[in-house]
Amino acid sequence: MDDLLRTLRISASGMKAQGTRLRVISENVANVDSLPTQAGGLPYRRKVVTFRNELDQAIGVNTVRVDRIKTDLSDFQQRFDPAHPAADPNGYVLTPNVSTLVEMTDMREAQRSYEANLNVIKSSKSMLQDTIALMR
Amino acid sequence: MDLNKLTLFGLMKGQMGWLNRRQEVLAQNVANSDTPGYKPADLQPFDFKDMVKRQNMQQGRGLSTTSPMHFAGTRAATSPFAESQDVTPYETSPNGNGVVLEEQMAQIAETQVQHRLTTELYRKHIGMIKIAIGKGR
Repeated sequence: MDDLLRTLRISASGMKAQGTRLRVISENVANVDSLPTQAGGLPYRRKVVTFRNELDQAIGVNTVRVDRIKTDLSDFQQRFDPAHPAADPNGYVLTPNVSTLVEMTDMREAQRSYEANLNVIKSSKSMLQDTIALMR
Repeated sequence: MDLNKLTLFGLMKGQMGWLNRRQEVLAQNVANSDTPGYKPADLQPFDFKDMVKRQNMQQGRGLSTTSPMHFAGTRAATSPFAESQDVTPYETSPNGNGVVLEEQMAQIAETQVQHRLTTELYRKHIGMIKIAIGKGR
């Protein structure tokens, strides 16, 4: 396989990984208010994505893929809301350990990485086109 | 007529091979820009020695076999260009990743420009040969 075509494959793997990351971020943001339904229940737990470098055996290059989607084990936040059905005897409700600010910065980072990979694809494509144009 | 026998064409072919390979290495860096512990790599500059090495590889330095029972032996590397890992990156993120996207994008742009230069040169020289055989403008 041609080097430039392999380049497209590598960048595509990067874009796929960033896409998965964006999906997990959107899950977190969508569930920022997913509270427990009864007392003693647990709210939504934030998910985090980690990446791994993997050798693609078929084409012999280092691609990237999502390693595992883990859960963030940090403590839940608390909110004083005695009227809520899931409130404990002191009147506190556990809320998810999702911070929208963190999710937004994470989203921007994923977006930038995605754009970078896209630009590599554009660059490689124009190089391929230059090579093909030699036949003209 | 083998165009590669003309030194200039052989050199340009080598240069284009190097640029293609470099683009691949840089794409790996960008794709892994969020992988924990990943260190960016780059190719060593293309020089005369590479060209000679490439010429040697094209001739094939594998073991010759005199019987079908013999193993053919393995070729050491498929790519004649040496890769070097950047052990002291400009900045390393807390998860041990050393890829600086700005640097990588600049290098990719540089590779693209050089590739265009090489293909244009190639085209020009083909044009000169065409003039010599009487089909040029």
